[in-house]
Amino acid sequence: MKIFWSFTRQAFQFVAAYRFNFFAEIFLILLRMYGVYWVWRILYTQRPGAFGVDLQQMITYGVLGMALEIFMWSRPQMYMARQVKSGAIDTDLMKPLDFHFHMLARSLGETLVALAVLAFPAVAIAYFVLGVNLPPDIGTGVLFAISLVLGYLVLFHLNFLLGSLAIVTLDIRHISWAYYSVVRFFGGQMIPLWLFPPFLAWLAGALPFQSTYFIPMSIYIGNLTGTEAIQGIGFQLVWLVVLVLISRLLWSWAHRRLVVQGG
Amino acid sequence: MEALRLYFKLIRISMQARLQYRADFIMGLLNIIALNAINLGMIGILVYRFVDLNGWGIWELVFLYCLWLLGHSMYSLFFWHFWELEEYLVQGTFDQFLLRPASPFVQFLGREVQYIGFADVFVAVSGIVLAYVNLGLHWGIATWLFFLLVVISGTVIETTLTLMMACISFWTGRSSMAVDLIMEFNMLVQHYPIDIFGSWFRVVVTGLIPVAFMNYYPALILLHKVNQNVGWWVGYLSPIVALLLVGMTAVVWHFALRRYSSSGG
Repeated sequence: MKIFWSFTRQAFQFVAAYRFNFFAEIFLILLRMYGVYWVWRILYTQRPGAFGVDLQQMITYGVLGMALEIFMWSRPQMYMARQVKSGAIDTDLMKPLDFHFHMLARSLGETLVALAVLAFPAVAIAYFVLGVNLPPDIGTGVLFAISLVLGYLVLFHLNFLLGSLAIVTLDIRHISWAYYSVVRFFGGQMIPLWLFPPFLAWLAGALPFQSTYFIPMSIYIGNLTGTEAIQGIGFQLVWLVVLVLISRLLWSWAHRRLVVQGG
Repeated sequence: MEALRLYFKLIRISMQARLQYRADFIMGLLNIIALNAINLGMIGILVYRFVDLNGWGIWELVFLYCLWLLGHSMYSLFFWHFWELEEYLVQGTFDQFLLRPASPFVQFLGREVQYIGFADVFVAVSGIVLAYVNLGLHWGIATWLFFLLVVISGTVIETTLTLMMACISFWTGRSSMAVDLIMEFNMLVQHYPIDIFGSWFRVVVTGLIPVAFMNYYPALILLHKVNQNVGWWVGYLSPIVALLLVGMTAVVWHFALRRYSSSGG
């Protein structure tokens, strides 16, 4: 717990040191929210009420997706790649701290700070300017919170797996461009999966990415309720367990064949 | 002339340096192609469900996206390192440009080639060809020349805007956020026709950060589309906007250099 707080403090001090960047980041998030807001507005004027949820719900979905872009800011895989490349990874491995847990604590700290100082204020502004819905009731809010945490954990483990790959390939910079697009697309960050054509919807439904955006956000807007919501959370849990197991296995394998470059 | 010769020499050296990492290059290309395919897929899904986007059909949107991308591709090939200007300044690498008996600008220009940008060219050309065929367009020679001029203007517009923003770091030491800001407006303009947005956004991308001249306004002409709020001639302003920006950038660069004080790297 103490380790985790020290990373949170560190991340917060970083934000405080670059205050201009902080305002610019908020502005960027709001700009993206504004973009999706108009896209859905125009599309709904063309074909009102064609897709199950109303415009207000769809805008809420889009706005949340843009706010949760902050899930992508903590990049443990980049940290791992950098450490491997510079050889500094050996200092990480010498610490009396499980490496997997170390990465999780670091990433969780960064994400919590980003959530508090960027995502939350941006959604609050959007609430007044663009008119975002609140969750329909407290139960939904609680389910959303649980699902959101699980969504973050799934994404963290995907990142961690990518980072472990850095040990084999030494460079993941280029892969990560396409990787983030895949997460955004199959995660349903902007376009909910129920709008996908059948084949893509089936594919996205099987992949873990929907855990990060689609499931929590659908619960929030009240499109996944009751047993469906529980099923969604179950889906996240199953993927999380699978990913944790793969991460542990892959990391111990990668750890053994790690080549430290003159560290 | 001398400057041009020097530029090509520098470019050749950067190219050779990059070519050492063959696998990296191929990975980069594949990833850029994947990234664009996914972006276009998103637009595709919206149009699949909603038939069109404010009167823009799928191929018109592909054209809009790829026209922007073609202008951008030349930027990403030759001028990508402009946004890293702050790193040159912070680390003191910029000093060496000033010590050598050649234009600092030409040296900075020739510093790097990001030839993963070839993937942008590939995607953009394929998209435009597909759109051209599917929309049944028949351009005369004059239209093709205008198209070419638009692409060049697009490159110039993006490059000058980025460089001007990057020059902020001569004063503040940091500029990457300002460059990101330009890129964010760019992304929205690339993906969607600006007529779907509210009026302040249209004003900003026309007057303040004129990225709409990279694709939207010229595309109205090239695709024979009509927008009641936009005069038929606005698209023809793209080259003029590009020229104006070149002038402004020259002035900014001049003052920025005078302002330069080394970080002592």
